[in-house]
Amino acid sequence: MSEISDAALVAALRHQMTVAAARQVVSASNLANASTPGFKAREVDFARTLEAQLASGLRTTDPRHQSAQGAAGPATKETEGLQARRDGNTVQVDRELLEMTRAGGDFARAQTALAAKFRLIRYAINDGK
Amino acid sequence: MAVNPLVGSVQTVPLLPGSGQAAKPTSAGFGESLARLIQSVDDTNGQANQAVSSMLSGQGDVHDAMIALQRADLTLQLTVQVRNKLVQAYQEIMRMPV
Amino acid sequence: MATLDSAISAAASALSAERLRVEVAVSNLANAESTRGPDGKAYRRRDVVLAAEPVDSFNDVLGRATATGVRVADVIEDPTPGRQRYEPSHPDADKNGFVALPNVDPSEEMVDMLSAARAYQANLTAISLIRDLVQRALEIGRG
Repeated sequence: MSEISDAALVAALRHQMTVAAARQVVSASNLANASTPGFKAREVDFARTLEAQLASGLRTTDPRHQSAQGAAGPATKETEGLQARRDGNTVQVDRELLEMTRAGGDFARAQTALAAKFRLIRYAINDGK
Repeated sequence: MAVNPLVGSVQTVPLLPGSGQAAKPTSAGFGESLARLIQSVDDTNGQANQAVSSMLSGQGDVHDAMIALQRADLTLQLTVQVRNKLVQAYQEIMRMPV
Repeated sequence: MATLDSAISAAASALSAERLRVEVAVSNLANAESTRGPDGKAYRRRDVVLAAEPVDSFNDVLGRATATGVRVADVIEDPTPGRQRYEPSHPDADKNGFVALPNVDPSEEMVDMLSAARAYQANLTAISLIRDLVQRALEIGRG
């Protein structure tokens, strides 16, 4: 008897992918505005995303409640502690590229696990054929 | 054991990997389980359609659509397998000399 | 969350914008010593004015998150006066012997050009990283 149900595992992996995708989108937006005067770099707000996830609690296994973050997706906030340039822009190109690479890796890992999980389930359903 | 993890509810038709047949559940809960299984095919199908059109319209994410498609596919496969097992069991019974 | 497609649009918008910045910087550099333009006056350096813009204004209005791209709001002439150089022998020298120079600082233009080129490159990388992600997502059912 497994401690984590299959449904919870799928939901958790899906959530990981959603967050990773959101990190990529946010970083891409930052990079697109690397030269925009006054633009403040943003990032995914993990604290609020986690809160939303926990708040939806037991319902995460129910497909109708998958969007724990709501239609808008994971919450974002301004990145703190960045040095602003003369025009007020705080985007650091290297930092964003690194974040995108990391998020890509996290997404890939979750996807690999999820694909393997689906394969196992299919295998079980088809009696090992 | 949750055999249809895809809809997050426990079914009474356990399927073990490598085994050749489903254990026979009590007839009391059986009709209900089957009905729920068939309903879940409808549900996951609808969710998949929604997820895909959401993705195509630019609102939903690709991975959400792919996951929904997988769940619909696996739910359907499961239901087909259960039906096959039922037919098999029925045929075995019918072959028994009265 | 905004789909990965909108992120690619955002990066694509940056490619146009940064390329324009490079072109303008190059043009400024090329005219750093143009003391007499078509209007008879010294060349005035140009500046690209950028503004953030949500990729999908429709979803933005609905309150749904969408990626933020960039657009060129304007290309303006920098009104800052340029230096004056004392060179009476210069054909464009005024009656006091001073030549009005363009308000171009070559080293600043180089910095702008390099930062624009770097941003361009980074957005190109971003597009390929996002594409990789979408590719992985499509492989969820594989196997």
